[in-house]
Amino acid sequence: MPRWGMVIDVKRCIACWSCTIACKEEHFLPPGVFFNRVLIGETGKFPSSSKLIYPILCNHCSDAACVEACPTGATYVREDGIVAVDDEKCVGCRACLVSCPYQQRTYYDQKVKDREYFPGQGKTEMELIGEKLYPLKVGTVIKCNFCAERVDDGMKKGLKPGEDEDATPACANACPVNARIFGDLDDPDSEISRLIMEKKGKQLRKEFGTEPAVYYID
Amino acid sequence: MSNKIHELVQTMFPPDGSGLKPYEWMVSPTRQRQWIDDKGIFLWLAFFFSEIGAGLYFVSLFYEYKAGLILGWLITLVLGGVIHMLYLGNPFRAWRMIMKPSTSELSRGIWIIGIFAALGLLQIVTAGSFNIVFNCIMGILCLLIISHGFATMNVIRALPAWSSTMVLPLSVISGIWIGHQILQFMFAVSGPQTLVSGMEIWAEAFFFAYFLCILLYAWGTYHSNEIGKESIILQVKGELSKISLAGVGGFGIALPLILTLIMWGGDTNSFLIFLRLASVLAGDLALRYVIMKSAMYKPLI
Repeated sequence: MPRWGMVIDVKRCIACWSCTIACKEEHFLPPGVFFNRVLIGETGKFPSSSKLIYPILCNHCSDAACVEACPTGATYVREDGIVAVDDEKCVGCRACLVSCPYQQRTYYDQKVKDREYFPGQGKTEMELIGEKLYPLKVGTVIKCNFCAERVDDGMKKGLKPGEDEDATPACANACPVNARIFGDLDDPDSEISRLIMEKKGKQLRKEFGTEPAVYYID
Repeated sequence: MSNKIHELVQTMFPPDGSGLKPYEWMVSPTRQRQWIDDKGIFLWLAFFFSEIGAGLYFVSLFYEYKAGLILGWLITLVLGGVIHMLYLGNPFRAWRMIMKPSTSELSRGIWIIGIFAALGLLQIVTAGSFNIVFNCIMGILCLLIISHGFATMNVIRALPAWSSTMVLPLSVISGIWIGHQILQFMFAVSGPQTLVSGMEIWAEAFFFAYFLCILLYAWGTYHSNEIGKESIILQVKGELSKISLAGVGGFGIALPLILTLIMWGGDTNSFLIFLRLASVLAGDLALRYVIMKSAMYKPLI
């Protein structure tokens, strides 16, 4: 069984937000909800300061704080390493949301559901179709799932996630500079394993001991 | 027109900070919002009522006072329980928490509250139920419920203001202190005055222990790391300073201290006991509020 992960090359990232938009399109996310973000910050002091650009998403930690905090088992780690939420089991206590050091979860309530991209104009056809194609349950927590539907469907068709677009997360497909590489962390010959080894991939906030499956290289 | 613009601004930049500014997310210390803002306020009240109800039950065990047991049991289950349910997004699924006691503090808390409800009812309705074994079991259950709220928060490693070592002792002491104050007031209006005077010695001890725990919590969190320091600064100098100063400092510490000194040595007075009870209730609510509101996450970059 593979263990899916992602490598993000922060040197390549040009902060175009294609990943953010592709993700919103893929999951039909309402205004104000992001599974993918691009953080921009600075380090050091002028004249030796430098700009930091960090695309972030759920880290799909193997020792995830959100899984530990969930009182119903709604948040769980799949065999392939993807941290998923079973919305049938979620009670909406938000313990996962509070415990996530990366703050990559969103509580989906009626207020969020009712948001319109054009306030006061009603929902567009695209928004209404989205609610049917990718229904989100009110009163539950939602998050990035590494586009598990694409990965699962792709694998059923015999495609290889990370190589074939139809089996790869939308954010990785959309990146115009190939800053995001998706693949199997347990396969020593996969591109992401090689990149992590060669470029000494770093995990975000490793000190929390959550063992993220998203690595950053520069 | 201005309403529409306001609505648009609210949609794009909602007060929870999750607006269309993805580049600003978690680039500086970010405050925890889910368990205190909006509907999260219910959780603050639920933890508070569970704690004081269990505190009252706990202290009543020592005085074998059934009215105290009944009131404590009702506060914990009716006020604490109902407010907990109001907070949940899907309250009708809450039973699922019972099915997974090994998963989290929240699930274990539900089990403990369930056992407390059953055994507490048995103790209340059974004559001669104040035996040492029953009292010990109920005492342990009460201590677990008192610390349940803060224990749930304490396991969250990402928030130094909650994962501080002093959070649990503070919750236990505050639960017992407030429970003791409610019981002393109940005795002051209905019981023998000698008992009320005798309770004053414990009131003095609990008050100073409570005060010490608050100081140690603030000192420990401030020196734990940069984010813990930020949380304490937010409590003392930031937007929460008024609540900290008036609520925690005034009602939680200064006024009870003055009243305790006036009644020093057991020279009690029903009105002063009532005043101190009201003051410590407001103070503890404020303390819980600032602790919950000031918790911050470390920036990601």
